[in-house]
Amino acid sequence: MEAAGLAYLGGGLSIGLGACGAGIGMGILVGKTVEGMARQPEVSGLLRTTMIIGIAFVEALALYALVISFLLIFK
Amino acid sequence: MDLLHHFELHPIVEIHVLGIDLSITKAVVMMWIACGLTFFFLVMGGRKAKLVPSGLQNFVEAIIGFLRSNLILETLGEEGVAWFPFIATIFFFIVFCNLLGLIPGAFTATSNINVTATLAVIVFLCTQGAGVAKHGPLGYLKKFVPKGIPLWIVPIMLPIEIISQFAKPFSLAVRLFANMTAGHGVILVFLFMILMFKSWAITAVPLIGVVVMSAFEIFVALIQAYIFSILAAMYIAEAVQEAH
Repeated sequence: MEAAGLAYLGGGLSIGLGACGAGIGMGILVGKTVEGMARQPEVSGLLRTTMIIGIAFVEALALYALVISFLLIFK
Repeated sequence: MDLLHHFELHPIVEIHVLGIDLSITKAVVMMWIACGLTFFFLVMGGRKAKLVPSGLQNFVEAIIGFLRSNLILETLGEEGVAWFPFIATIFFFIVFCNLLGLIPGAFTATSNINVTATLAVIVFLCTQGAGVAKHGPLGYLKKFVPKGIPLWIVPIMLPIEIISQFAKPFSLAVRLFANMTAGHGVILVFLFMILMFKSWAITAVPLIGVVVMSAFEIFVALIQAYIFSILAAMYIAEAVQEAH
């Protein structure tokens, strides 16, 4: 169990688990947006804009995990 | 197989001023090109403005109209229109920086954490400055503690508010940096797959992957610039709004 092996393991785990949470979050978010658009098609522009902003927030969390993974693998 | 060497910067012209390394690297050249493109794109769109626009003027006006209504009027309101040139400049600079990186042989300036951190620090200074200018230094600090909450919550809430003030520009920087790096990194991984298999027959599959990922990257470049600008506008609006 050298440190280098554990670092690679940690890098893989970090982004793997991070993407799980982000995937679930985005699925819920986009699903709710589609539901809202189906109920009231005239506000779909507003819903789409808010969804894009929400996706950026959720994706940022997954990208923090990716940055940690890069640090672990390449250092 | 060293993926990272495409993201490393080597100085083209070495300039050292008082011990600070100001060498001109590929990222600096790309940022100059992005600034030049922004300038020419907007100036050419505004030249000889006709009352009924067509061509480039129409395109530029459409983008500016979209930015104005969507970014400024919704977040900052009518009196926030003074912030519009700043937010629009940030948007166009980030769009051109991101899109230039997709040209083979060019470097994405925003995939360097220093560039995005600089942009985030500028936004941070603007939010703090706007808040202090509107409310005065003491009034701005008083906004961290809303009225009407029990006194024992304040020692918990104040550090959280202060940390969140610093975490917001940090997340702006990391979001843009990681999106750009990850996107171009995926394209590089696909290209390395072609080299790795060393066979002409397999070349088609990673090539399709590269084309699809590049198309997705164009989309992500626009979205990330839009997200950065609208979050910057929202943070400024939050600093300027009246305490509730």
